Amino acid sequence: MWYKLAWRLFRHEARRGELTIILLAITLSVAAVLSLSLFSERLQSALTERSADFIAADRVLDSRKPVDPTWLENAEENGLNTAHQVYARSMAFANEQMSLVSLRAATPEFPLKGDIKTTDQPFGVGVVTEDTPKSGEAWVESRLFQSLGLELNSTIDVGDMTFTVTRVLSEVPDSGFNVFGGDPKVLISIDDLDATNITGPGSRVTYSYFFTGESNQLDDYYDWLEPNLDRELHRWESVEDDDSAIGRSVARAEQFFLLASLLAIVLAAVSIAVAAQRYSQRHYDPVAIMKTLGASKGTIQKVYLLQIIFIATLGILLGTAAGMLIQQVIVSIVAERMDITLDGWHWRPLIIAVFTGVICALMFSLYPMLKLFSVPPLRVLRRQMGAGLSSRLIQFVAAGGAILLLMWAYSNNIVISLILFISGIVLVASLMLVTYGLIWVGRKLGQGKMGAWQLAWARIQRRSMDNSVQLISFAITIMLLLIVLVMRNDMVQQWRDQLPEGTPNYFMANITETQLPELQTHFSDRDVQVDNYFPVIRARFVAINDEKIRTDVTKEEEENVEREGRDGLGREANLTWSTTLGEGNTVIEGTWLSDEEKTGEFYGVSVESGIAENLNIGLGDLLTFNIGSEIVNVEVTSVREVNWQSMRPNFFFVLHPKSLEGFSPTYITSFHLDKDRKTEITGLMQPFASVTLFDVDARLDQLRSIIDQVSVAVEFILVLVLVAGALVLIAQVQASMDERQQELAILRTLGAKGTMIRASVVFEFIIIGVVAGAMAAVANELALFLLQSQVFEMQAAIHWEFWLLAPAIGAGVVGILGAISCWRLLSLNTSHLLRQMV
Amino acid sequence: MNSTPANMIETKNITKVVDTTEGQLQILQPISFNVKAGESVAIVGASGSGKSTLLSLLAGLDEVSDGDIVLDGKALKGMGEEERAQLRGEKVGFIFQSFMLVQSLTALENVMLPAEIAGMHDAKEKAQEILEKVGLGHRGTHYPNQLSGGEQQRVAIARAFITKPKILFADEPTGNLDAANGTKVENLLFELNQGSNTTLVLVTHDNELAERCQRQLHMHAGELTELSNDKDVVENEQLERQAG
Ligand SMILES: Nc1ncnc2c1ncn2[C@@H]1O[C@H](COP(=O)(O)OP(=O)(O)O)[C@@H](O)[C@H]1O
Ligand SMILES: [Mg+2]
Repeated sequence: MWYKLAWRLFRHEARRGELTIILLAITLSVAAVLSLSLFSERLQSALTERSADFIAADRVLDSRKPVDPTWLENAEENGLNTAHQVYARSMAFANEQMSLVSLRAATPEFPLKGDIKTTDQPFGVGVVTEDTPKSGEAWVESRLFQSLGLELNSTIDVGDMTFTVTRVLSEVPDSGFNVFGGDPKVLISIDDLDATNITGPGSRVTYSYFFTGESNQLDDYYDWLEPNLDRELHRWESVEDDDSAIGRSVARAEQFFLLASLLAIVLAAVSIAVAAQRYSQRHYDPVAIMKTLGASKGTIQKVYLLQIIFIATLGILLGTAAGMLIQQVIVSIVAERMDITLDGWHWRPLIIAVFTGVICALMFSLYPMLKLFSVPPLRVLRRQMGAGLSSRLIQFVAAGGAILLLMWAYSNNIVISLILFISGIVLVASLMLVTYGLIWVGRKLGQGKMGAWQLAWARIQRRSMDNSVQLISFAITIMLLLIVLVMRNDMVQQWRDQLPEGTPNYFMANITETQLPELQTHFSDRDVQVDNYFPVIRARFVAINDEKIRTDVTKEEEENVEREGRDGLGREANLTWSTTLGEGNTVIEGTWLSDEEKTGEFYGVSVESGIAENLNIGLGDLLTFNIGSEIVNVEVTSVREVNWQSMRPNFFFVLHPKSLEGFSPTYITSFHLDKDRKTEITGLMQPFASVTLFDVDARLDQLRSIIDQVSVAVEFILVLVLVAGALVLIAQVQASMDERQQELAILRTLGAKGTMIRASVVFEFIIIGVVAGAMAAVANELALFLLQSQVFEMQAAIHWEFWLLAPAIGAGVVGILGAISCWRLLSLNTSHLLRQMV
Repeated sequence: MNSTPANMIETKNITKVVDTTEGQLQILQPISFNVKAGESVAIVGASGSGKSTLLSLLAGLDEVSDGDIVLDGKALKGMGEEERAQLRGEKVGFIFQSFMLVQSLTALENVMLPAEIAGMHDAKEKAQEILEKVGLGHRGTHYPNQLSGGEQQRVAIARAFITKPKILFADEPTGNLDAANGTKVENLLFELNQGSNTTLVLVTHDNELAERCQRQLHMHAGELTELSNDKDVVENEQLERQAG
């Protein structure tokens, strides 16, 4: 029978809208968790996919010799797709000029991931192609057109073979990103490789084998392959964590999603707790009546538990639907290209979301329900008798513990959880103090004539405990909203700063000292702003503390991103000199190079921290470089951290200017050219055929679009959190209105004017809103400082504007909400109010 | 045969002491009296004299500080909350001054409530039947706040009688009603009571209402005295008194 009773009570409460807040809160927390975790998983897999683009496959096997053909057969038997490419450095000849080129001979399957882009105009905009060069054709990079004076359909000799140049090669997926550039690329068909005769003994050739497939197939294959691999000859590459600028931005955004959804959960939980408390209080009488009529405690527990199950189920269902919808919307806004499939991995976010819904529904209604169950039947005779259970401490401990656990379980990050939790505690504690301070002040002010203000103060005084609870939840809500708002602002701002308008989209290298003045005037005549010129001297890095190091150059090392160094540097090092620390550089050990003469035997050098770690270089080490036939010895005097996210030339080694005196450098620099001026590039570069030009527009666009997309998602989350916050505020105001109802009815009966009552209630809410806002601003500062410095690795700053804004917003929002519900209350007539009280 | 003991309610030396901020307060002096099965007893007295307190003890809503209460042969002493609730469900019906209807249930559902708690299967039919008896058969789907005070109290009376309780406790049943409605409710109460031969304990400060009961007990500052009156009281029990 109890289930019928539960259903009846539930139905009625639902119809009267009493369950709306709880339902919305559960729905919201489930939807937030589901949409955000689905979205970040999708983002993650899209990024993995994109990283795969950069190596042109899921896995790559690099080898110095052709591998046993059975290896490839086996891969195909395992269900993997394969492609093959051979890299070699060679000379190319045309128009009686020659150039060192990076030759790539590919099978038609190449690339398995990512795209080749070609165009028919040097430095033109590349277009994705599905083709690869046919036998006899060569696709050639723009730079080579420049340096060899090529045209389309002219010929080029590579090794023993003559090729017709049929397309301009603008992008290959596995090119890496190197400001100093490798040699210009020439792509040919693998069928023509033998005819060039360049893979003979003594030549440096890399054979790359590309694989794609399901990750378990790939793993199985590697398990089989691994015993056959020779470390000297082979290297197995997989998609690794993306440490690029994009990767980091996305990682930070994901952390923000995490934070935001944590906050959304906390807010939802608070509104569940507030609404459940209210629900519980409204049911003191029914419980007392049922107990009086002989209902056992067990029956009553079942009746109310079932109601919670009803609402939780409904909330979870709605939340799941909403979550799916929301993430579908985000995904469609963020990336039209992302495939949406309901794979197995979608279950994980779903389980987390459902779990969150259950925990929220149960844990945060637990205490109000326990209170409700403890209502004595005697209440039917003694109307003022409340619940037997009345320790606020239990409530705080239970709710606080549940919040912390939920945060921890969900974020897997105890640091974030503790930061938020502790700042919450600090907030609560200081609010307690302020509340009592206020009451004391209020007592002084409240004396005298009974105006609206006095009435407001008097009410605040009288219900100090209730008010402090209210104040605390208002303040926490405002604080959480501020955190998300500021984080979002700072983060988006930082991303924008990273790639401001006018970020260089071209790099020039190999500018000789004699070309420099001419180039400067040429560019300024054409109204192109050029950045600083950095001197570069090519050197071989030969020894650390007189210990010889490996310096052989192989394809992958040359082609890969600048940062990756191994035992040796693996290529010629680009040295620069300066005594001013570059932008985005910070010395983490030692002291920066000064203008003064050397103090010891050698001049100083500053080493980038990543390479210092890789090569095991420390302060005081002696580095030996070979420049031409000369030897330069320098001592490590500092280690620098470099922001590789800035699209600027950065150097592993910065030497003291004096140590490089007498060597003639080339210069590199960068400039920005608007998209609509792209056609001018040929004319701009024409007098400087030997200068190498790199077009990084494609990279920048990619970076920008990802940042834009992630920003949209961040905005969306901000909205989500705002909704959660609004829910709490409404729940809280609604609950506090219940408490005021009786008092208002009495005042009304005693003949107080509606306007006066209304004004006093609004003032009361305004006072509470101002205090809550002010407290929130302070707590926000603390939480932000910890979050930004400890978690997001951002520069923490004080946000003065919010010290004014938060109290104003608090007063505005809370005051308006209070006014609305007060207006509703007062629009009911007095006898109705009195009757409701009974 | 279902042997009904002669006394439906037996009390012996019951007292009630509560803790207040100013120390202990004795609300009830030792009280002893019995109520026979089918008898109707009125407890009269000024507001604050302890009537409701006595009622709450008799009904097992609260625990005595000392003394014994036996309801229909069952001693309340030593019973826990749960057992007392069960006993109430089986034997006791209530009517309150403030009606105490569940606001979120309809009139019919309110009447069904005790029957459902007791696990009766035909609760709905019974409830409809008894609602008709109190003249509200057509108001079954209305919620309490859609009914007048008198109507609410009639619903409460229907609710009290649905389980055919052996004992009915009424605490100022007409206290919140105007004269006309009060009389209507009174009549209904006595009518149903006689029809079902229920033992009635009625708290009131309305002497006229008290007159309609077979016996009147007077409560004054926590002390209970039997009022002898013109009415034919069948067997006037000797009241045991103990100096407090
Ligand atoms: N729990 C309690 N704590 C303190 N005083 C109480 C308590 N319960 C009842 N009283 C006091 O005992 C007296 C009797 O109350 P009550 O039985 O309600 O009187 P009546 O129903 O006759 O008006 C009153 O003065 C009341 O204030
Ligand atoms: Mg009373």
